[in-house]
Amino acid sequence: MATTNATINITSDIASSFPINISNSMTMTKHGVNTGLEETTGLRTKKFTSTTAAVIVEHDELTDDKAHKLYIRNASTDKSNFFYIAYNASAAAATTTETIGKLYGQDWMLMPYDGNTNITVASNGTDTQYLEYMVFADGIVAAAG
Amino acid sequence: MATTTATVSISSTDLQPGNTLGISASSTLMQAGLTTGLTQVESGVISLASGVESRLGPLATEISGDAHDIGSYLYICNTATDETYYTEFGIHETVIGRLFAGDWMFIPWNASDDTAELELEAENGAQVIEYAWFNKDFILTAAAS
Repeated sequence: MATTNATINITSDIASSFPINISNSMTMTKHGVNTGLEETTGLRTKKFTSTTAAVIVEHDELTDDKAHKLYIRNASTDKSNFFYIAYNASAAAATTTETIGKLYGQDWMLMPYDGNTNITVASNGTDTQYLEYMVFADGIVAAAG
Repeated sequence: MATTTATVSISSTDLQPGNTLGISASSTLMQAGLTTGLTQVESGVISLASGVESRLGPLATEISGDAHDIGSYLYICNTATDETYYTEFGIHETVIGRLFAGDWMFIPWNASDDTAELELEAENGAQVIEYAWFNKDFILTAAAS
């Protein structure tokens, strides 16, 4: 069993009378048990120069209905550019079902993922942007030989 | 201008044998496409009844401006301790992942319309979640006259 820990810290002075300081850690475990995740797709980096949607996580490589975790980071620095992030077979845009959100330069996300549908992204323009992503997997389906 | 910063670190010494994993990322959360910080936060602790779909956060029509263009970020933690308990997280009727006991998630979120709302559903038992939603565009519903 492997042990993978993830820690988040969020600080904010939006509320002037009660500064926000969120700190939390979790150990990534398999579906319904206290056993740590043991597989990963590895950390990948992809360069984008167009708005064409691309699948970054193919769900059929993962076991369905499990406790996968998905980490994505926009490695670019420009806060005016972003990626649409969608839970969709092939599309990602503002109105695509289901676009989760827009990941601007330097932004990151970490979310649970059931592995039942692809994760698709699309850059907002033609400026060069880089996306980093990694699935912490609760089951990877080996490709048939 | 308020400053909200979100930082993550992910580590494991044994997920990838022979390669210690260490991911660190930090982002100052900005208004959509700008280098101006977010100005609003909504946070709370909510009980979820088992097997009941619940909406978290506003509908698109409760967000000012073009809902596609908002910059907003959502943190959720499942405070349950029973490893068999999880809360399904999704957009409208589409489940995206399962937030198990003790897990947290952090995503960008932008509503495209009122049928792209965030939904949660506790499974295997009632659960309590903690959340914080950082944004600038949420408007209060008009009071009854």
